[in-house]
Amino acid sequence: MEIRPILSALLRNKTGPILVALQVALSLAILANATYIVNERRAVVARPSGIADEHATFYIQARNLDNDGPEQRLATFKHERDLLRAVPGVASVAQVSQMPLSNSGWNTSITLDQRQERPSASASMYLSSDSIVQTFGLRLVEGRDFLPEERLDANEKAEARPPPQIIVTRPLAEKLWPGVSAIGKTIYFGSNENVTGSRVVGVVEHLQTQSAQIDEKGEFSIVMPLQRYGDSRTMFAVRAEPGQRDRVMKEAESVLRKSSPTPMILEMRSVDQDRKDRYRGDVALQWMLVTVSLLMLLITCCGIVGMASLWVTQRRKQIGVRRALGARKIDILRYFIVENVMITSGGVFGGVALGLALNQLLVSKLEMARLPAGYLAGGALLFWLIGVIAAYGPAWKAASISPATATRSV
Amino acid sequence: MFGYYFTLGLRSLRRNRALTALMVLTLAVGVAASISTLTILHAMSGDPIPGKSTRLLVPHLDNGQVDGWAPGEKPDDVQMTYQDAVNLLKSGQGERRTVLFGTEMPLEPPRKDMPAFSAAGMAPTRDFFAMFDVPFLHGQTWSEADDARGADVVVLGRAMAEKLFGDANPVGRQIRLMNVPFTVAGVVDYWNPRPRYYKLVGGDTFGGADDFYIPFASAIRHEAGINGGMSCSTKREPGYAGLLASECTWLQFWFETRSSGDRAELQAWLDRYTGEQRKLGRFKRNVPARVYDVMEWMDELKIVGNDNKLSVWLAFGFLALCLVNTIGLLLAKFSVRASEIGVRRALGASRREIFSQFLIETGVIGLAGGLLGLALSFGALALIGMQSTEVAAMARMDWEMLGMTFVLSVAAALLAGLLPTWRACQVTPAIQLKSQ
Repeated sequence: MEIRPILSALLRNKTGPILVALQVALSLAILANATYIVNERRAVVARPSGIADEHATFYIQARNLDNDGPEQRLATFKHERDLLRAVPGVASVAQVSQMPLSNSGWNTSITLDQRQERPSASASMYLSSDSIVQTFGLRLVEGRDFLPEERLDANEKAEARPPPQIIVTRPLAEKLWPGVSAIGKTIYFGSNENVTGSRVVGVVEHLQTQSAQIDEKGEFSIVMPLQRYGDSRTMFAVRAEPGQRDRVMKEAESVLRKSSPTPMILEMRSVDQDRKDRYRGDVALQWMLVTVSLLMLLITCCGIVGMASLWVTQRRKQIGVRRALGARKIDILRYFIVENVMITSGGVFGGVALGLALNQLLVSKLEMARLPAGYLAGGALLFWLIGVIAAYGPAWKAASISPATATRSV
Repeated sequence: MFGYYFTLGLRSLRRNRALTALMVLTLAVGVAASISTLTILHAMSGDPIPGKSTRLLVPHLDNGQVDGWAPGEKPDDVQMTYQDAVNLLKSGQGERRTVLFGTEMPLEPPRKDMPAFSAAGMAPTRDFFAMFDVPFLHGQTWSEADDARGADVVVLGRAMAEKLFGDANPVGRQIRLMNVPFTVAGVVDYWNPRPRYYKLVGGDTFGGADDFYIPFASAIRHEAGINGGMSCSTKREPGYAGLLASECTWLQFWFETRSSGDRAELQAWLDRYTGEQRKLGRFKRNVPARVYDVMEWMDELKIVGNDNKLSVWLAFGFLALCLVNTIGLLLAKFSVRASEIGVRRALGASRREIFSQFLIETGVIGLAGGLLGLALSFGALALIGMQSTEVAAMARMDWEMLGMTFVLSVAAALLAGLLPTWRACQVTPAIQLKSQ
């Protein structure tokens, strides 16, 4: 083959090839890492919250400016819930303590034994004396929803006793009892001889926490059939019929306002809005990385095309001589393509090493994940392909040089 | 000679137009990416209160449980209990001191045509305003007596005051908060440092201005709702009284010392305090009290996210790529001028002359790249700012970053120009002249 002469020609004029290889290496290193981060973030954003139909679900934070006692307030909340249920287009309503992705709510630590010192896990607490399973549309993978007689309302001034039954998410169940069914198992809140346990009656597939952390903790939630009352504030989760959310939101607001003799503060929010806010940073980072990656590809392509064109111009006479001595067009074309593949290869190998180094830096300094080898392999393939395509134009131009005109000025 | 070479450089921009345009564009894109990401990092991590940031100190006392804790582990929470906050307020340490927590409560406007709404504010002591250099538009802060008895007085934020009272001076007027009438004592002018470094835990770190401020003692007396995080390591009694007596941490505390040297004194006092409390059976972890100044505190709470740093790193990687690309383009541009250099050298120009001429020429390219890069940066920042108002407040260029754009661009161009310029100097006049 003609690799040896191409190589020795390259070595005689190193600067240009090194610059191209360096560009390929830098692009490959950044591109592989950027693509991986983008894919990782896409997976984070795509995680299900557990709410079956997020587009149709919204919630109302309500506060009544009354001076009622706790019992009176409890009655008002029940009445308001029933009013909401009667709004046309409402599929389900539950009075809830917090919403997934809303960035506001309560966590609790969980132990498996009363005498245990270190908590087994920390979980997000969803309290409701209505059915969250129905309103959110949670998928029960084991066990059952709470029975009507298990649902309780408790005065917040009274001592906080956890309910005897509880529903957990599957990721939490697998963390607490790996490999065995969670149904019938007991968990405790706090370590104390006197604490009473709660028995797991159901396991739901997904229910993200209020902050939807990116590690496994984002899936650690428990549902309690208990609502605490006494405060003038409450929250209702509403699932509308598909496509009717916006109309239902407006009507629900006016129904609640009309029902109350005292002024009311109502804040309506859709789950879509919360999702957008929660993942705003991740989406922005994706856009930034994609933009930079595309620009980088463009600039690298330009670099390769530019350099190859320059060499073709510089070697017009040499090409003319070769053609006059009997080289075919295909030989010239092959010469330039092979030369470019050799340069790109150098860049690709450097890029793989640089990519690994960059990833190591990101892992150690910015707590990012380790880059799978597939991304580097894919990137290498891409740059070889780009190298050939980008070099093809100038190489074809070189091959088209007619020997007569090219040698005339010699 | 500099002026002449500069003019030559400007003229040379018109030669090889495609190549020059490509160079300027490449530089500009690289600079714009770096500057726009750097601007956001700069806004997030800058000193929010220069000149005072080493005198504003956050004490942290670790009151976590010993069970399941190993020495050296991070504390469960960096906030403070009510009992410690009250003791520290009484301590007389530092020149000024304040406790504060975020609160959200129903606000009923005096105007009947405006419905009640939920307002978010802070519950500090009167020292807060002086400590954080909060500017007043009308009136002033409440008195020490108001702090002591928990008076129903309120200081409004300017935006909230204008919403409720228009342009009129509302000092002395009343609004209803939590179903109770509060008298307006003052109005704070536009004041919205971002990050909101005075309330970083469980708060809207890059959020808008506070609607109102009420005395801490008043908020406690009315059992105001807590807008922020709370961490309880032990069981607590139900109700607000139970919360105040508990080991739950939910308050933010600040000291202002007379000089940054007084920090050691404060540290010593806190160590004595925790020692005394330990005798009463508290602070079982036996961790020494910690003190953070403003910058240390922002660092501890990781206000600058890893994502922001990642963006900046990758943007600078991209700039490096643009640099390499520019080197190639400059080599191509200079290589066709060998004969020109040959003539100049033959007429007596030294290598140093050639070097400075070509380096100045690359500097001009750098300036052009900086100009275009600045325009692109403004575009990129506007795009980034479209996400939300919080981000828009961060994505604002100041004079420092404006200057940085040109410095970065010219430096990048000069760096890229070193190799091609050096190559240009190597031209031997004899060979060049002979081949013509």
